[in-house]
Parts: sequence; C-alpha cells; structure tokens
Amino acid sequence: MSQGLEARLLAAHEGDDRFALVRLYTQAADIANDLDAECFFLTYAYIFALDAGAPEATVLHARLKAHGREE
Amino acid sequence: MTLHQTDLSNVRTSVERANGLPNAHYIDPAVFEEEKRALLFSQWAGLAVAADVPGPGDAVPMEFLGMPLLLIRDKDSQVRVFQNICRHRGMILVEEPRKIEGAIRCPYHSWCYSTKGKLVSTPHVGGPGHNTHEAIKRDDLGLVEVRSHIWRDVVWINVSGDAPAFGEAMADIMARWSEFDLPLYHGGHDSRITLEVATNWKLAVENYCESYHLPWVHPGLNSYSKLEDHYNIEKPGEFSGQGTKVYRQLTNENGQTFPDFEEVGAKWNERAEYIAVYPNVLLGVHRDHAFAIILEPRGPEKTVEHVHLYYSVPDSDEGLRMRNTQLWKTVFEEDIFVVEGMQKGRHANQFDGGRFSPVMDSPTHCFHHWVAGKIETHRARARAAE
Repeated sequence: MSQGLEARLLAAHEGDDRFALVRLYTQAADIANDLDAECFFLTYAYIFALDAGAPEATVLHARLKAHGREE
Repeated sequence: MTLHQTDLSNVRTSVERANGLPNAHYIDPAVFEEEKRALLFSQWAGLAVAADVPGPGDAVPMEFLGMPLLLIRDKDSQVRVFQNICRHRGMILVEEPRKIEGAIRCPYHSWCYSTKGKLVSTPHVGGPGHNTHEAIKRDDLGLVEVRSHIWRDVVWINVSGDAPAFGEAMADIMARWSEFDLPLYHGGHDSRITLEVATNWKLAVENYCESYHLPWVHPGLNSYSKLEDHYNIEKPGEFSGQGTKVYRQLTNENGQTFPDFEEVGAKWNERAEYIAVYPNVLLGVHRDHAFAIILEPRGPEKTVEHVHLYYSVPDSDEGLRMRNTQLWKTVFEEDIFVVEGMQKGRHANQFDGGRFSPVMDSPTHCFHHWVAGKIETHRARARAAE
C-alpha cells in the first residue's frame, strides 16, 4: 500500500468516514500483490459498506465469495 | 444461599381480612431478585413504546432489570427486541440511540448483524481475509431475540419466553377496550414525561389502580370528578384499576377540543378508564386521548415512570397538547410524595403490610393477590426443580 493511500485511510478512520473507508480499502484491494492481501482489504471494504448501508456491499460480497472468502 | 421466603399466606385471602405484601417485597434486594423472575421476566412486561423507534433502522439500547436490550425497528418496519450483545464475545453492540444505516456492527471484532438479527458477516473468522469457518454456523449465531408484541404502542416483552401468547394473555383487557382498537398517534417530544421516583415499582401500581386517594391527593379533580363518580375495575390475575363516569374534555381558549377517536362510541362520551395491566404497565383511555406509563424498576427502591400521551390524529393541536401534558404531569407529580412516603414506611419493621378498605381498595388487593400467587407459583416450580 502506498504511503499516500495509507495516510488517507488513517484520516478516514480518524474521521469515521465509512464511505471513504469503503472506497479506500477497495483501492487497496485492487492494487494488492496477492489474493490473501486483496481479500484482507476487501474484507474491510465490505464490512464498512455493510455498516454504512453502502450499495458497494453487494459487489464486494460477490468478490469475496468468488474467492471462497464469504458465504 | 437459600432465600428466606416471605410469608404470603395472609395476602391471598379476602380483601376484608388480607394484609398487604410484607415489607421485604419493597426493600429487600433478594426479594426484588425473586420478583424479577416471578413477576416481570415470566410475564408480558412493558419495556418501551414503539414511538421510541419511529423509523426503519432506529435503534435504542436499554436495560431491563439489568439485562442489556436493543429496541430496534428493522428495515421492514417491524419493531424487535434483541439482547444487545454480540454472539462472539458478548460485547455490547449499540451504546447510544442511533439509526442503523446498514448492519449492526460489533465495535470489537466487527461481526455484523442485519436489523432482523441475522449474522451476516464474520470478518477474518477463518484467518486474515478468510471470513468463514466451518465451526461458525451463521444461522445458529443470530442475535438473541426477546419475545415481543406491540399493543397500544407499548412494546411488551416476555423474557422467559414461555408466557401464553400475547393475544391469549391479554384477551380480557383487549376485549374490554375493543372500541379503542384504533390507530394511536404519539404526541411527540412534548408528550413524554419521565419521572424518577424513590419507590418500589409496585407502589406505583397500587396507587394508580385505586380512586380512594383522588380527593385527597388530587384536589383539583374534586370540582368535577368526585369520588362517587368512580368505579372499581378488577380482573383477578390480569389487571385492575378504576374508571370515571364524568370525564370532561380539555378545551383551549377558543373552546376547541382534541378530535375523538372515531367510532369509539357514545358509551365513552363521559367515561374514562385507568387500568394497571400487570405487571408494570399503566394505561388510560379517554374519548380523545390516551396514555401509557411504563414502570421501569431500577431497584427495590427506585422506579422510573415513562409516560407517553397519544391522540387520535397525527397532527393534534400543539397548544392543547402541551396543556394536556402539563395537566397530567401535575397529576402524576402529585402522586410522588405518596409512593415515596409509602416506600419510606416499608422500613418500619412492625408494619404488617397494612389493611385494605374492602370497598375502596379492592383493585389494590387484586394486584397483591396476583403478586402473591405468581410468587408462590414461582417458588413451587423452584422447589420442584430441586
């Protein structure tokens, strides 16, 4: 994860900006080097999407499920 | 430790001969604990009102006799009550009233539940990025739902889960007030009164359900509602209270009144009834408004009274509403010195529970009879289980 992305993630956590957390963790997943790292970040994106009632939850769930990481 | 059991033999006799409940039922923490199970968890008790969660996703954490609960209106508008804990490590899920936008996320490890209580995600439960594990069966790990039912906007709960169905348990009071089975509209923030009272919750019931005290404690009622205009209401084992035959509608400076509950019928033109539905809900009905009081027992000698006023229309006149709230607030506050005074009196160790006026106090005796019967049933079950 780039330092810039990490800083934006920390700021989003600090401000409890769940929609930003969904977006930023999805970005982190998209640029991850391996499947485990991708699913690790996708999990955060998915959970914050669930929490916020964000529509992205559906797509994120589908990605995790496709990798055998969600029911 | 074996609880020293109070002697209730002289409570469950006729009103002419009976004594009231012994002091311990008002001041002893061990008896309070016994009554918690015998009278409150095992019955349909009042927890809150549905108006506390007006919109889908609205969630209010609350405690009922020390048990953390979550009152929530799910996404399909059904009001539900859950134990407010995560099925993972028992962490409190919701700390403050708020709207659940999506899922209920545990603040500890982020297990997520739908507003219907279904466990929907268990992040990293199988290791980092692995959100499933064969040992974690989500269908078995939903939030623990407490049996609940809404009637007259009151959220009634049966914690033990084994009371008769609500409609069966409350059939008689529902039939008595069937004319009032009409839409109720909470008056909003100006129609809530919260009173913290230094008394056992039962004394609030006992005072509410008899009219004997009215001319002395509420002299303002004497001008139009005299003692002889009242009648007793008693359904042994279920409810008791009092009614008046001379209810007079509140008016404002222009002579306006609240609109009636439509189709409630001429029978109720001048009649109003005030009933304690056992254990802890006090209800009142009139042609043009109603109220519900949930008694929240906080301890043997502390009760919070949550008063809610209701109208027949969603947009009742604000000025009239505020006047009505003030009127009832005055009446309920006038009762405080009585229930707090009786509470102090329960520390007089020679008090034998007192005696009842066979004519005027029979609704209170009806309540005591119910209390004693439920406690004896509870004790018999406990002995049988030993």
